[in-house]
Amino acid sequence: MVAVAARAPRVTGRPVALGVLGLAVFALALEVGPRAGLVPIRYAPPTSQILVTLGEQVGRSAFWVALLDTLRTWAEGLLIAVVAGIVVGVLLGSVPFLRAATATTVEFLRPIPSVALIPLVIVLYGPTIRSTLVLVVYAAFWQVLIQVMHGVADVDPVARDTARSYGLGAWARIRYVVWPTALPYVVTGVRLATSVALILTITGQLVIGSPGLGKEIDNAQQSDAVRVVYALILVTGLLGVLANLATRFVERRVLAWHPAIRREEVTPA
Amino acid sequence: MTLVRRGVLLLALPVLLFAAWWVASAGSTDFYWPSLSSILAAFGRTWTWDRVQADVLPSLGRLLAGYLLAVVVGVALGAVIGSVRWVRALVEPLLEFLRAIPPPVLVPIVILLSGIGDRTKILVIVSGCVWPVLLNTVEGVRGRDEVLSDTCRTYGITGPLRLRHLVLRAASPQIVTGARQALPIAIILMVISEMMAANEGLGFTVVQFQRGFQIPEMWSGVLLLGLVGILLSLLFRAAERGLLGWYHGQRAGRREW
Amino acid sequence: MRRTFVALLAAAAVLATAACGDSSDGASDPAPGQPDKVNAGVIAILDVAPIYLGKQQGFFSERDIDLTLTTAQGGAAIVPAVLSGEYQFGFSNSISLLLATSQNAGLKVVCNGNNSTGVDGQDFAGLFVKADSPIQSPKDLAGRTVAANTLKNIVDTSVRASVKKDGGDPAAVKFVELPFPQQVAALDAGQVDAIFVVEPFQQAAVDAGARKIASSYVDTAPDLTVAMYFTSTKLLGENPDLVARFTEAMKESLAYADAHSDEVRDVIGTYTQIAPEVRAKMTLPKWPTEINTASVDALAEAAVADGLLTRKPDVAGLLP
Repeated sequence: MVAVAARAPRVTGRPVALGVLGLAVFALALEVGPRAGLVPIRYAPPTSQILVTLGEQVGRSAFWVALLDTLRTWAEGLLIAVVAGIVVGVLLGSVPFLRAATATTVEFLRPIPSVALIPLVIVLYGPTIRSTLVLVVYAAFWQVLIQVMHGVADVDPVARDTARSYGLGAWARIRYVVWPTALPYVVTGVRLATSVALILTITGQLVIGSPGLGKEIDNAQQSDAVRVVYALILVTGLLGVLANLATRFVERRVLAWHPAIRREEVTPA
Repeated sequence: MTLVRRGVLLLALPVLLFAAWWVASAGSTDFYWPSLSSILAAFGRTWTWDRVQADVLPSLGRLLAGYLLAVVVGVALGAVIGSVRWVRALVEPLLEFLRAIPPPVLVPIVILLSGIGDRTKILVIVSGCVWPVLLNTVEGVRGRDEVLSDTCRTYGITGPLRLRHLVLRAASPQIVTGARQALPIAIILMVISEMMAANEGLGFTVVQFQRGFQIPEMWSGVLLLGLVGILLSLLFRAAERGLLGWYHGQRAGRREW
Repeated sequence: MRRTFVALLAAAAVLATAACGDSSDGASDPAPGQPDKVNAGVIAILDVAPIYLGKQQGFFSERDIDLTLTTAQGGAAIVPAVLSGEYQFGFSNSISLLLATSQNAGLKVVCNGNNSTGVDGQDFAGLFVKADSPIQSPKDLAGRTVAANTLKNIVDTSVRASVKKDGGDPAAVKFVELPFPQQVAALDAGQVDAIFVVEPFQQAAVDAGARKIASSYVDTAPDLTVAMYFTSTKLLGENPDLVARFTEAMKESLAYADAHSDEVRDVIGTYTQIAPEVRAKMTLPKWPTEINTASVDALAEAAVADGLLTRKPDVAGLLP
């Protein structure tokens, strides 16, 4: 099953407009809610006040330094986790012996919260970007690994047997049979890992004190600067939206042959 | 594969790692990295049946409640979002926005809205667990076989029947993947939900040990969390076999082994 | 496709080695004539204004200390870093230090952090209830819920001291852990019956119309030493000269801060995001240069009485 190269479909205007509409409705609800007294306005400021505070924050150089630190940690951690997750996942998924041998260890390590590793990581690397990086990689790795393993296990037995009877070697099998089957799972895994990596980046910065947006949020919380906290949360959320746009873009190119993408872009009705 | 061989295979690596840990940490004087023997001693001391009843069982109860609620909400929303193209376009950026907000930052907001009781903790667990289920359901529903879809339309199968037999069943392998992903996240969020506005619970106890500098006890709690993870994944696998029996059977029928 | 794969692998390998590669930049042996690089871990609260002010005034650099201040969320992040040598000095409240000592953590206090003002009703922290609450004084808290930012620590110990002083039953008070930023909202919403907050949240409580019923730090002990600066016993053994110089610089900073409250309010604005109007109205703690040993002793005894500790820790060994 060789991946068919399709022309990259263009993004039509309508989905983008709808997405913006969805966000706008949410923003409106958050403007009206506090003002109508549904939530205490002192602790849940309306959207307009948050936006004004965001404007003030953007003028601070400390904000931009923190943003850059966050992006750097996020990107590095995600890259390491994705590559490691794919390599280990394909390995474990393809070799039943390895999968059975590591099953209990994986199930044991996965639920250990990264937050429990914080003292260990502080002892090893201190309140630096590297500490948060370790947390990010640890958490995001499992997301990718599990998805990849599921994808590899989902290979169509007929296709696999056909490949084997045609004498395709192990590497060719992985490339032409295993990889395309696993790819949708991998893409979902990368998408999950992207958001987990962002969350752990901010969380690590918040608790350990590594430089970044999370630390700015903690600082604002300790200063009882409520609007600043929400303004920074807004930035975090926007980072998530941007990340999703980026992964959706990659997905469209990489999975152009998959029914889910084809149906949506090609079928006129 | 014989039972003995399978048992050995399952346990070999953990036993090896355990032994390596024991040897590497024996006689350690590092305050935050005590010897494995002291951690195990603390384990026996700390997790008595009384404490398990007082702390662990309520936590597990909230964990299961949050997890099941997340699965139900995730599948329901995911089926709708995955099936209707314009709903997906409308809602996706908003969901991505909400998903990116880290739990420690979200918890105060949930407390503001929902108070400081069990309900808040369950909502915190749901707020994190729902995402893998939701995402995977959307992907599963989107990616269903067109031939099956057209066949259903030709035969005039619509509504709840179509939902049950076509949409959900075709998406069920990916839904189950999502549910599997959500399990460790549920455990992590259980800990986070008990870091604020709590006075009992497994996560609460572990965090209190950390704050009180009782480090061997803290690590024993971390070990317990890992064991809980294994237990839940075993339960999950049993449930999965029931739900996806048709899928595994279909695959196995074509397999040699 | 394969080329991209290999490229990605290579990039990841490079990044991984860069990330995990060694470079522990703690206080390394300085080249002769170079100032010592020192990392101090603090919390971004008003209590640590003196060290920021002292750094600004050059008290540290004139003693050959190149000071870097890093803020963390709390003692849980600072203590491991001090023990491992990533930080040379840290800031923590007195009870956390007593707890760590009782577990043989290997910490040593070097100098005073901050004290309560000692004036009842005009401290930098207070015990508040809602304006219309039936609770009139601390003894009415029996059977009620009080919010504490950390359980089994200085807040609940101090609140119990207030209850004891007022003639109530401290064991009957229920505590729930809630971070300071959420406490005033929780009080407003009736989720808790009372809160004990420090500045700037004390201002927030006052603004929200809450009524102060006690100054628990004052009730615990006269002129209570609330927090102190500490180091690891390891560093003290390896480089006592550095510790001595740091202590001198700190004492000078504390004295300066205690005498120049306007400059303190300004410097607080540089490392926190506390609004200017709040900064102007906050009650500042006192910053004496010497630790009030008697108060730390009283705190230790209260901790034992409340069941936080089974045995009184070696207070004299902890303090300088």
